[in-house]
Amino acid sequence: MHNLGTVINFEIMRALKKKSFWLVALGFPVLIAGVFAIVYFSNQTTDQAAKDLAKQNFSMQVTDESRLVSPAILKALKVQSASSKSAGVEAVESGKIDAYIYYPRDLTKQKIEVYGQDVGIFNNGRYDAMAKMLLSESVKATVSASVQTVIGGSVQSSVTTYRDNKVYDPAKEMIYPGVYLVLFYLLIAFFSGQILTSTTEEKENRVVEMLLTTIKARTLIIGKIIAIIGLALVQAVLIVLPILVIYLLFHDKLQLPSVDLASLPVNVPRILIGAAIFALSFLFFTGFMVLIGSSVPTAKDAGQFIGIIMILIFGPLYAVSLFISNPESTLVQALTLIPFTAPIPMLLRNAVGNLTTWETILGLSILAISSVIVMALAIRVFRFGVLEYSRKLSIKEIISRK
Amino acid sequence: MTNILEVKNFSMTFGSTKVINNLSFEVKKGETFGFLGSNGSGKTTTIRALLGLYEPTGGELLIGGKPYSVDGGVRLGYLPEERGLYKKESVLDTMVYFGQLKGLSRQDAQQVSMDYLKRVELDGKAHLKLDKLSGGQQQKVQLGITIMDDPELLILDEPTKGFDPVNRRLLMDIIEEHQAKGATVIMVSHQMDEVERLCDRIILLKNGKSAAYGTVAEVKKKYHMKSLDDVFLHVYGSGEEAQNA
Repeated sequence: MHNLGTVINFEIMRALKKKSFWLVALGFPVLIAGVFAIVYFSNQTTDQAAKDLAKQNFSMQVTDESRLVSPAILKALKVQSASSKSAGVEAVESGKIDAYIYYPRDLTKQKIEVYGQDVGIFNNGRYDAMAKMLLSESVKATVSASVQTVIGGSVQSSVTTYRDNKVYDPAKEMIYPGVYLVLFYLLIAFFSGQILTSTTEEKENRVVEMLLTTIKARTLIIGKIIAIIGLALVQAVLIVLPILVIYLLFHDKLQLPSVDLASLPVNVPRILIGAAIFALSFLFFTGFMVLIGSSVPTAKDAGQFIGIIMILIFGPLYAVSLFISNPESTLVQALTLIPFTAPIPMLLRNAVGNLTTWETILGLSILAISSVIVMALAIRVFRFGVLEYSRKLSIKEIISRK
Repeated sequence: MTNILEVKNFSMTFGSTKVINNLSFEVKKGETFGFLGSNGSGKTTTIRALLGLYEPTGGELLIGGKPYSVDGGVRLGYLPEERGLYKKESVLDTMVYFGQLKGLSRQDAQQVSMDYLKRVELDGKAHLKLDKLSGGQQQKVQLGITIMDDPELLILDEPTKGFDPVNRRLLMDIIEEHQAKGATVIMVSHQMDEVERLCDRIILLKNGKSAAYGTVAEVKKKYHMKSLDDVFLHVYGSGEEAQNA
């Protein structure tokens, strides 16, 4: 294993040099940043519209048949009443004013009608926001602060539940063990293709003979797996870092909920079991993917198996409600104990706390034994299968080949 | 002279096809050994089994007195018949990687690589990706990797395949240099003139069996032929089998 570090370094460096790695790695954080940006700019647009209106940068007329909009608020914002609905619409059409809002008599049955000058796909939202803001501010002005809180749905409450004479919050307690579920999902989603093709690459490049007379197959495969874990850590940093920066810098502006990690309950046995399930599941599927990669001649052939693997791993998500509501059912127990489907049910049920002791012991044992068998088979097939440059190995050959 | 390599009663079967049938030979330390035969006669299979890439169906294949393993104590340079490298990596990075795997420090691997690239006039392409090089240039890089840790046993499977006469000459010079340093060279080749010039002893395979084995002079004498080319044609006949070679 003395060359392990060299393999890990080589595999990580060449992955980091590929544009495709950065496209995938940065794609997800960019998507998250995009969603936050839309929320942020949408809020900004509404605020800006109110400011523009106050400064008369934003001319608007209303017709209020509902009698709910406060004339005082309209006056303060220098919003004029239109002589009629048609006059208001015509004023917008002709460009005399920026917007016109028509409040119908019965808001429970009729819609508010909003007309405005086009200011772009993102900024057009300010008209609707303004119409609703005028209405809500007017209604708020007629009731007490308590009633406002109730109507606004911002009443806060705290729930304290007990188990075994102690305060117990099942939702909070599942957060730390649940992290492994998210990690496993991300690792498989981002890297299954890479694991699968990294073993066919040497075969396709015809470099494998030189490699296997220089380094042991086991060292090479373990090096590749550790390199992928290293790349997963890079990916994790790229995902977590922008979220953390956005949370710390824009926590108030985006009205994000406060999270106090220190107050979350730490259930050590469940966290350790989650770690064991995560590690063994990753080992099992990595071995399985190396096995497939070594049995087929090209990355294209290997790629055909990604869909099947994804169905096996994530298919159980369709039964997610059953994992929580009916964990004793035969289907749930079967999905929990079959190694191909076990990761999601085991991680999820461990997080929610309904994975029984016998299921934990049996499930982990099956995963561990399967992982060892699949890994040993994968290394054996890699050693001998990689020299089959142009054909797939049959299952019979995989099992019988010495 | 002690044996560096021994093949004892080696047999190899793929499915129902017997590729090698009870083959035995040995290679002495420091000699240059020619491994000859037509395509499909079992040369590459024997080499792969010697290097542990195939598990033999029967018999023993020993390098340095034991089955080959990468940490078995014999510095090996192997140029396989199937040529190829990491196409999307640079020439230098690839050479340094293999140099490190062979036990050189990063610094030494870089130095040895650059010295070799300069010798084969590829130093200007050290930072290019391998797929930007011609087939012949890629082969030169692969040969450089094969010899970069000064191997004591060189196994070259059709080393001149795809080389033009100038590069063939260069390759021959490199082989001779390693011979002079005392390295054992096992060479699979269809170029009989090269074999006659470089090899001390040969084995000629036919249908997975030894058809001739001994010094070049002994083999020629056995068949009453003037050249190895004639021996080859005699063993295989002048028909299709010989033309495949």
